[in-house]
Amino acid sequence: MSSRDYLGEFEHIVILALLRLGDRAYGVTVRQEIEARTGREVSVGAIYATLDRLEGKGYVKSQFGEPTPERGGRSKRFFRVTAKGMSAVNRTHRAIQSMTRGLDLIGSYS
Amino acid sequence: MSQASLPRIASWLVDLFSPGEDAESIPGDLLEEFSDLAAKSGVASARRWYWRQSAKTIAHLIGSGFRVAPWSIVGTVLVGYLLLVFGDSLAEEAIVGVIHLRRHHVTPYYNQTQLATYVLWLNTSILIGRLLMSLIIGCFVALAAKGREMAATITLGLVVGASLGVFFLVGVLRHWPQNAYLSPFLVDQFAHSIAIVIGGIIVRESRLAMTRRPSGV
Repeated sequence: MSSRDYLGEFEHIVILALLRLGDRAYGVTVRQEIEARTGREVSVGAIYATLDRLEGKGYVKSQFGEPTPERGGRSKRFFRVTAKGMSAVNRTHRAIQSMTRGLDLIGSYS
Repeated sequence: MSQASLPRIASWLVDLFSPGEDAESIPGDLLEEFSDLAAKSGVASARRWYWRQSAKTIAHLIGSGFRVAPWSIVGTVLVGYLLLVFGDSLAEEAIVGVIHLRRHHVTPYYNQTQLATYVLWLNTSILIGRLLMSLIIGCFVALAAKGREMAATITLGLVVGASLGVFFLVGVLRHWPQNAYLSPFLVDQFAHSIAIVIGGIIVRESRLAMTRRPSGV
């Protein structure tokens, strides 16, 4: 993995949602967590497109739960962040902190 | 109650466009949220939410299909287009050959009614044969684009539609104003794009039927 491999903005938000949700992280809870915390309406398709991309990079892993009647007999797909994903989150955080250090963002734009 | 009120068309479209690995989780997540919303805010509001989410989800899934496997989709669409170009003329030649097998000795002696019947049969057979060829090529493209059947067949349908659109415009400009015959020709040609997409739907539905569990598990 390249040391320059940072998370995109939405990838970052999705991984943080997975970390917050822990064992309860699947499509519905991830979508609702992001909506509740950012106030941004996101689609299930956007969540899965991002999670599939993150899984392809090895940043998250998924496993299927049992099918349930309230979901029409369909399974939930649970996600969790891998060690590689944690490194990517930390690297991205450090880059953002480094870039914002010393800037008076609120004062500059108010 | 709430599952019965689910917008069937939107739900069918989501099933069609969800890629292999998400074929259960995406429709399941949408159904779960729809049921919760219907209990909290009423069925009408939940149906509106479901349609909005489905439209956005399908747009994302088509886009991600191209990002995840661009060369696989481009390759299958290109092969499908070439098959269509060569297959169309082969189908036409085969149909004309079969019809002439029994008739070519007597055609010059047809009266007006027999000639009109002959031409109608010939045109109808060619149209049906070419539509079947488009449908089969749509199925082939969908089989090759594993898990991205709809993205591949819609792309091929759009490519065929766009190339026919260009052909139509060139024809209109070159033959203006004697171009009245071109409009039905265009409608006939666009039917091929629809046949290709129907081929994709057939393959997708077959694959879903093979993997689907009975609801209520």
